[in-house]
Amino acid sequence: MYKWFALKRVLKGIFTYVIIIFIMSVLFNTVNEQTMRSNIEEQVRAETMRLKNMQPAAIQRFQQQRRDDLIHLYRLDRPFMERILYRTWNTLTFNFGKSTIIKSSRGEREVLTIIGEALPRSLILFTLAAVIEIIIGIVLGLKKAQKPGGSLDRTTSLLTMIVYGMPTFWLAMILIMFFVYQLKLFPSAGMHSVPPPQGIMYFIDLLWHMTLPLLTLLLIGFWGVSFVVRNIVLNILQEDYIMAARARGIPENKVLFGHTLRTAAPPLITMSVLSLLSSISGAIIFEGIFSWPGLGNLYWIAVQQNDIPVLMGDLAITVGIYQIGLILLDLTYGFMDPRIKVGGKA
Amino acid sequence: MNLGDTKYRLSEFWSEFRKERSGLVGLAILVLSLLVVIFEPAILPWKEVNSKWRSIDYWQDNSASAPPAWTNAFTKLKAPVTVRLDDGKKEEASLDGGVKLVTYTFDYHYTADKAPLDVIFHITGHGDIPILVSIGRPDGTTLDLGQRFEQGLAGQDIRISVDNDGRESAFTFIKNYESEGALEQYSGKSLRTNDILFNTAREGMAREFKPLKGDYKLIVKAMLLDPENSKVEEPHVVVTGSVSGILGTDDSKRDLFSGLVAGLKWALLIGLLTSAISVLIGVMYGIISAYFGGTVDSVMQFIYQIVNSIPVLPVLIVISAIFKPSIYMLIAVMVLFFWTGSVMTVRSMALQIKEETYIEAAKALGAKKSRIIFKHMVPILIPYSFASMALSVPSAIVYESSVSLLGLGDATIVTWGQILHDAMQGAAILKGIWWWILPPGLLIAVMGMTFAFLGFSMDKILHPKLKTR
Repeated sequence: MYKWFALKRVLKGIFTYVIIIFIMSVLFNTVNEQTMRSNIEEQVRAETMRLKNMQPAAIQRFQQQRRDDLIHLYRLDRPFMERILYRTWNTLTFNFGKSTIIKSSRGEREVLTIIGEALPRSLILFTLAAVIEIIIGIVLGLKKAQKPGGSLDRTTSLLTMIVYGMPTFWLAMILIMFFVYQLKLFPSAGMHSVPPPQGIMYFIDLLWHMTLPLLTLLLIGFWGVSFVVRNIVLNILQEDYIMAARARGIPENKVLFGHTLRTAAPPLITMSVLSLLSSISGAIIFEGIFSWPGLGNLYWIAVQQNDIPVLMGDLAITVGIYQIGLILLDLTYGFMDPRIKVGGKA
Repeated sequence: MNLGDTKYRLSEFWSEFRKERSGLVGLAILVLSLLVVIFEPAILPWKEVNSKWRSIDYWQDNSASAPPAWTNAFTKLKAPVTVRLDDGKKEEASLDGGVKLVTYTFDYHYTADKAPLDVIFHITGHGDIPILVSIGRPDGTTLDLGQRFEQGLAGQDIRISVDNDGRESAFTFIKNYESEGALEQYSGKSLRTNDILFNTAREGMAREFKPLKGDYKLIVKAMLLDPENSKVEEPHVVVTGSVSGILGTDDSKRDLFSGLVAGLKWALLIGLLTSAISVLIGVMYGIISAYFGGTVDSVMQFIYQIVNSIPVLPVLIVISAIFKPSIYMLIAVMVLFFWTGSVMTVRSMALQIKEETYIEAAKALGAKKSRIIFKHMVPILIPYSFASMALSVPSAIVYESSVSLLGLGDATIVTWGQILHDAMQGAAILKGIWWWILPPGLLIAVMGMTFAFLGFSMDKILHPKLKTR
């Protein structure tokens, strides 16, 4: 039954997520606790400053008392295993605590709020880029597969290989240098003008800011997509049923878009979802360079300012999105490819 | 599989590979870069770049953010190129009282349209030595620029910068041509020493620079007061121009060409080591998982899925931020994530091979599991993994440069990512210092391209279905 398959897949995904978070908690335990301890010290100092008219001995006693209380509150006095499990649980319940330096646009220091603010911005940019990439990639890939070894196929394959190892962030730097500082066509950074315009202009402004990042992603992205599409389609075109379809006199375009693309859909969807997922998680440098205020940029800032809670929260959310994407992929796969449909009638 | 077999398969592979033009280009670039790594000491203009990349002293004679020397071809006013003059003519003369005078004369042929930024004399001394530097101009005048009396030297380098130490005498020189009134507008500070020294001597020379081209003599004189116990050696002069080297300098005066050449070996090491180890692990993992099947397979597949569903770059960055790993640690961490790449293909191929009759025959003959795996399965599957090995090299290089770009790289070496990091820090994009940004990234891209060429060509040969009809 599909129901059971879905349930099993979701449970497996959750289990995987728990394990990953557990590993992270073990790995980053020391740093986490250092941050907590310094936070406690800071809090105790701040509280002591507020006290007046007290004997030094009393102050010291108070400090010690508060420190012990807080250490107990954060469970830093518990055994190692319990601390780790406690932290894993906190992360799993999105209880990331407060950031040390970074603030949200309204000045809040809740890590979850900060990340919640950044997430949609990343999604807008990368989903749009992925959609355009896939459309161009599929069209180009089909064209390439139609005449394998032809001049279009050869030149685009060559270009694919040339951009294969090109770092996106470097292309971003070059484009910024050229388009922003030489031609002064696009804004150098950010997502909106300050202050952001109202109404329809808001979206135009957003698009204007988005052009250069999108351009960079596309220039690097669609080659690979078209290359993979070509290979998949080329494999399918050698199948007997394609030959049969052609023999029946079905127009070539219908063979391509109907017969071939339908069969090619599952691996194509897999590929595009995976590339979207990896671009979201791998966008750290990219967003940093464009100062696009998404998850990646947050990551960059958190690394530079050594804001461990934000870093851990960001990591947990990124891993979570990645997991959700993989689960969704598996769940929809059955619809795409009837051959592997679970629970269907044989 | 014996040696003859391997040889045969190799020659067969080569005859196929020869037809792939892009593969040959890739191979050529790879061989070329290996040659560069081997002959690195001969190629490097700055020999100690590997150990002194972050030393301030080592680069101090260069000019900061200087464009490459060949940019002169595109500019109207030619800028002087930074040169180091080593071949000074040595003259020794004995003076009264047992004092010896050692004179080194360097010839500098000046043809640029702008004055050099600085002329720097270097000499290594032992004992007590008074040193005098002077410059002989093409118009016949000789100017004493400055003197130093160094005492108790034990092999230290004495550095005399004309820009600083020659200011007084340059001002005295200009007084011969300019009236007091004219000079009052230009205080001693705002006149650059070298703008005077390389200027045509005339009235109005303070206002306008008109280069006096020709042969200059740069002279350093050392007086050995006690010739028995004191000596000078290794004199050289650096004329600091506003353009420098093959690829210019960055804002810390470092020669970028040297840095890039030094970074090549690290890029290759990172890429090749990471991909080779991780693909080998992946192949073994896939084979074992397929061969044993059952519970082993399930457990191994589960571990594989967990590792495969961790986003690499974020974790890599957090690990680098927290543990500050050395380059080898970084490679090890990357291997931890990269090995998953080839597992699935190898596993499915191994599942097929496992059912072949010769495996069955080997089993019937009582061959051990290890023998079957290493003698019959690994040799067949390893060649297939070469393509994925080549194709995972670029991502390893890009990951390292990403980590370095964030400033989390290994600080004991020079990598292209770190040069890009410095460029970001130095706002090279804003200032348009293209020679600082373009080459490192281009090299990363070319490395990626090389291995993509190799990988895709091998892929085509090893998976014939992708062949173009």
